[in-house]
Amino acid sequence: MVVTLGNLTLWLSFFFSIFQFYNSQKKNNLKLISIAVKGLLISSLLSFLILVYLHVVSDFSVLNVFENSHTTKPFLYKVSGVWGNHEGSMLLWIIVLTIFNYFIYKLYNNKNLVFISKTLSVQSFIILGFIIFTILTSNPFEKIFPVPANGLGFNPILQDPALAIHPPLLYIGYVGLSAAFSLSVATLNSNAKQEIPWFIYMKPFVMAAWTFLTIGIALGSLWAYYELGWGGWWFWDPVENASFMPWLLATALLHSLIVVEKRKSLQAWVLLLSILAFLLSVVGTFLVRSGILTSVHTFALDPSRGIYILAFTALLGGYSLILFASKSKFYFNNNFFAFFSKEGAILVNNIIMTIVCATVFLGTIYPLLIEAFTNNKISVGEPYYNSTVIPIILPAILVMGVGPILSWGKENKFLLLKKILPSILMTVLMTIFFLSIYRSYTFVGVLGVLLAFWIISNNLYLFYIKRIYHSVGMVTAHLGVGFLILGITSSSVLQEEKIIRMNIDHNVEINKYNIVFKRISEVKGPNYIAIQGNFEIYDKKNNIITKLKPQNRFYPITNNFTSEASIHTNLFRDLYIVLGEGNQNDGWVVRIYYNPLVAWIWIGAFTIFLGGILSMRDNFKKVKKIS
Amino acid sequence: MKNQLIKIPTILFLSILLVLFYLLVIDRDPSKLPSNLLNKNAPEFVADSLLDNEKFLSKKELNNNITIVNFFATWCAPCREEHVYIKRFSSEKKIKVIGINYKDNPEKAIIWLKKLGNPYSNIAIDKKGKIAIDWGVYGIPETFLINSSGIIKYRHAGQITKKIYKKFNLLIKEIN
Repeated sequence: MVVTLGNLTLWLSFFFSIFQFYNSQKKNNLKLISIAVKGLLISSLLSFLILVYLHVVSDFSVLNVFENSHTTKPFLYKVSGVWGNHEGSMLLWIIVLTIFNYFIYKLYNNKNLVFISKTLSVQSFIILGFIIFTILTSNPFEKIFPVPANGLGFNPILQDPALAIHPPLLYIGYVGLSAAFSLSVATLNSNAKQEIPWFIYMKPFVMAAWTFLTIGIALGSLWAYYELGWGGWWFWDPVENASFMPWLLATALLHSLIVVEKRKSLQAWVLLLSILAFLLSVVGTFLVRSGILTSVHTFALDPSRGIYILAFTALLGGYSLILFASKSKFYFNNNFFAFFSKEGAILVNNIIMTIVCATVFLGTIYPLLIEAFTNNKISVGEPYYNSTVIPIILPAILVMGVGPILSWGKENKFLLLKKILPSILMTVLMTIFFLSIYRSYTFVGVLGVLLAFWIISNNLYLFYIKRIYHSVGMVTAHLGVGFLILGITSSSVLQEEKIIRMNIDHNVEINKYNIVFKRISEVKGPNYIAIQGNFEIYDKKNNIITKLKPQNRFYPITNNFTSEASIHTNLFRDLYIVLGEGNQNDGWVVRIYYNPLVAWIWIGAFTIFLGGILSMRDNFKKVKKIS
Repeated sequence: MKNQLIKIPTILFLSILLVLFYLLVIDRDPSKLPSNLLNKNAPEFVADSLLDNEKFLSKKELNNNITIVNFFATWCAPCREEHVYIKRFSSEKKIKVIGINYKDNPEKAIIWLKKLGNPYSNIAIDKKGKIAIDWGVYGIPETFLINSSGIIKYRHAGQITKKIYKKFNLLIKEIN
C-alpha cells in the first residue's frame, strides 16, 4: 500500500515536470507554472519521505530496504541509509533539484517573466531527465517476493554521523550548480540587448552551491580521517575528485561573478564556467555510478545506468555548449585589466582554479583514455596530484592573500606596498614564532606556513581597519582558507607516525608524549561487538593528559570488521591511536599518529562555510533590490 | 579566430563522452593485459613489512629464486577467491610468493591471513599505492611472475582462476 503510494508520487513528479516543461515554453502561463513547480516540490518530497518511512519501519518487502537495512540498525542510520545507496540517493538528488526549482520560481517579477520561464524550462528538463533515470533504472520502490525476514544490513563503515549528513550537503552543492546552468542557458537563449541582470540571479545559487560543497567535502574528509584509520584525510580517490572539480570551478565562478557585477567584464567566461561546473558534477556522478572507474565508493553496478547518464550528459552538454558557441559572441567584452587590481587578482584566481580543475580531470580520466586508445591499463594516484596540483595552486594562494586589499581599476603600487606592509610584518613574525615551536624547516612546509599566515594576517588586518565595503562574509571565508592551509601544511609535513607491537603495561614515546597500554577489554555496542584497547597518555612531567580507547569492531550481520581510531584533539595537535591485531602473549599492533594542527583543517572549512552563509545573506538582499 | 576558439569546449566535451561511451559498450576484459615491464627488471622498492619489523627490500626478496608477486587487499573480493591458488603455489609447487598489501589496513590484513592462511614468505605494505604505480598495476588482484634474475616474465591482471593457475605452472616449468 505505502509502496504503491511511493511509486505513485514518483510518477506524479514525472508528470509535474513535463507539465512545467510544457507550460514554461509559453508566455503568460504563470498560474499553471506555479501549480507545476509546487506540485513537483510536494510530490518529490512525498516520495522521498515515503522511502524514509519504509526504511524506518524496516519494510523488507521493498528490495531497497532489504538490501540496505536491518532491524537492529540504530534509528539515525536507518534514515541516513536511505541515501547511502544508489536508488535512494537519486530520490534525494531529485528533491534537492525541485527545491532549487522552487527558488528559481521565486525570482519571478513583472520585468523578468520571459527570462525566468526560460530558466524554469531548462531546470524542468534536467529534473525530468533524472526522474526518468530513476524510474527506468533505479526505482527505489521495487518489491521483492517472498518477503525476507530481515535485511542484509548496511556497511558499518558508513554508519557514522558525519557521513549521515555528508551526501545531502554535497547534493545541495551539485544541484545548486544546476540552477546556475539553467540560468546560463536561459541567458544565452535571450536577447543580449535586454540586459537582464542574470549574474545577480546567479550569484546566490552559486554561493549556496559552493558553501555547501565546501562543508560537504570537509565532512567527507573528516570522516575519512577518523574512520579509515590512516591518519590521513584526503586520498585523491575518483569520488573525491568528482566533488573537488565542481568545487574548483564554483570557486572560479563565484569570483568572476563579482567582476561581472562590478565591471561588466568576463560575461562569456562566466556563462561557460557555469555550464561546465554543472556538467562536471554530472560527469562525476557518471564516473562513480557506472562502475567505469574503481573506487572505494562502490555502488551496485548496472551498465544500463552508465549508458543512460552518459546519453543525458551528452544531450545537456551538447545543447548548452553548442548554444554557447553560437551565442556567446554577444557577451564578449574587450576590457583590459591592470595586473595590480582586484579584477586582475580575480583573473589570476580564475585561470589557476581552471588549470587545477583540468589537471585533476586529466588525472581522473587519464587511465580511461589510455585504455581506450592503447589498451594499456595504468592508475594515477596521489604522487601525480601532489606533484602537479600543489605547485599550480601556490601562486593562487599568494594572490588570494592580497586580492581583497587591492582596489578596482588600477592600484598605485606605492600605496599597495603601504597597505600590505603591516601584514608582511605580521606574517614574518607569525612564521618565526611557528618555526620556533615546531622546528621543522622543509621547503614546502615553510612555504605553506608562510602563505597560510599571509592570508590570515591580511584578513585580520581587514577586520581590524573595518572597511565596510568589504563584505564580512568574504573576509571570513578567506580567513578560513588561511586556517585550512595552515592545517593542511602542518598535518602533512609535520606528522609523526609509529607502528609498533605493544604488550600490556608497555609504553612508547611519540613527540613529547608517553603512551602507556593499560589493558584490553571487551565492549558490546548496539549492532557490534568490539575489543577495546585502553591507553593512558602522559606528558613530559608525567601528568595524565587523557585516556584513549581505540576499538576493533565486528558487525555480525554484514560480517564486517572495522577499526575505530581514538583521537584526542586540541588546537595544537591530534593524538591518534588505532588498535590492530594481537593477543595476550605477543601483544597488539598499535598505530600512533601525532598530527599537528590538524583541527585547523576542520576549523578552516567551517569558517569558510560560515563566510559563505554570511555572503548568501548579502546576495539575497541584492536580488530583492532589483525586483 | 574567436569563433573557432569557442567551439573547443564543445568538441572536447563531446569527444571525451565518446571515449567513455566506447569504454562502456566494449567488452572490457582486464585479464588481457600486456605489460610494458615484460622481460624487464622488476621495479625496485623499499617498504614496511607486514610480517616483521624489518624493512622490506625488493632487491633482497626478488633474487635467486623464481618468485610470484601478488598484489592483494582485504577489501577486494576476488583476492579472497584467488587465495586458494596463491596458497597452492607456495604449499604444493614450493614457489616463493611475495605479497604486496595494496591500500589496506594492516590489522585487517593480518586477521585476514590468519583466517585464510598465509602463503606469503614476506609482505610489503603499499599504503599509498606507490609500488603499484611503479609496477603499472591497474587494479587488484594482480600477479607477476619473476625469474631468478629478477626479470618480469608474465603478468596477470585479475583473479587467478584454475585456468590461469595452470598457465602459471606451465610458465614456471618453462623458465626453470
